[in-house]
Amino acid sequence: MRYAFNESLKDDDSGDHDQDQSSPKDSETIKIEDDEKEQNTTKKKMVVPGAGEHPLQYNYTFWYSRRTPGRPASTQSYEQNIKQIGSFASVEQFWRFYSHMIRPGDLTGHSDFHLFKEGIKPMWEDDANKMGGKWIIRLRKGLASRCWENLILAMLGEQFMVGEEICGAVVSVRFQEDIISIWNKTASDQGTTARIRDTLRRVLNLPPNTIMEYKTHTDSIKYVCLLSLLFSLHLLL
Amino acid sequence: MSAGGQTTTSLEIPAVRRVAIHDAAHMPHEYSTTPGGTLFSTTPGGTRIIYERKFLLQCRTSPLARTPPNNLPDIPGVTRPLNSDSSHDTKNPVEAPTTNNHDTDVQTEEGEDAQFEMDI
Repeated sequence: MRYAFNESLKDDDSGDHDQDQSSPKDSETIKIEDDEKEQNTTKKKMVVPGAGEHPLQYNYTFWYSRRTPGRPASTQSYEQNIKQIGSFASVEQFWRFYSHMIRPGDLTGHSDFHLFKEGIKPMWEDDANKMGGKWIIRLRKGLASRCWENLILAMLGEQFMVGEEICGAVVSVRFQEDIISIWNKTASDQGTTARIRDTLRRVLNLPPNTIMEYKTHTDSIKYVCLLSLLFSLHLLL
Repeated sequence: MSAGGQTTTSLEIPAVRRVAIHDAAHMPHEYSTTPGGTLFSTTPGGTRIIYERKFLLQCRTSPLARTPPNNLPDIPGVTRPLNSDSSHDTKNPVEAPTTNNHDTDVQTEEGEDAQFEMDI
């Protein structure tokens, strides 16, 4: 029940898009839309490395989301906010996308880039994410572009050494700070989460007293659920 | 001392690069990194493809990495700068979310942002 109610809901600091109150079958809608897109563009489901390119361990998909200014988040549905930018299978294909995208630090407004393994949606309710969680790091303004690049290069290069555990990474541009996060499959696996944390420290070159926090997605869902409830009560009173 | 390698039938890991090191200062900083950058592009048996940051950055300049992807959606402010107003639409698999520039009113967003006021 709670789960259905909260499908597509996201908290703000997840490095994820923000939530909405849209209908519980939102994710189905997205699936259909994806299929249509693929037909329309004759884009293959699986990209492959080109000749002479360096294959990656996994294929990945870039996503972008932005909350439309001036509208309350609650009236926006997930698919209005999130766009697929494209998928890649090799180092060279990654650079082709990355080099033609604005750096996170230059994004305007309330925006997120998501880079997830192909087939995993940047949503809590995706099968790969629902038992998972994320490390989040809040960054003062000016650091996001460099940290994001280091984070995704470490992910693409399989530097985390946690098997299949990594799901994706998010950078969230907010008003006074930016947030980067990396999502993994099994929040309860402390060996994995500790290793991810240690790798983050190594690859991000963070200021020494940077705070890193781990959040399970179920906690995030509860938090948004509470917010929604408070919001509803507020409307009633 | 182990038996001579020549009697075995195992093969080398493909594409090994050799880098000569003449000074200890040229050694990589991290334990797991081999001289010249990439730690190991393939683990034995081909189970995992690993690249180190420096190697990935080197690939960036390859001609293969420079051509824009042909299916790049046109999203102003994301896949192209907001102000460079190229009016021609490339074939866009994903619709651009917005075509107008309303980035001035983002600061008026409501309360959810309050939790981010702390700084590190």
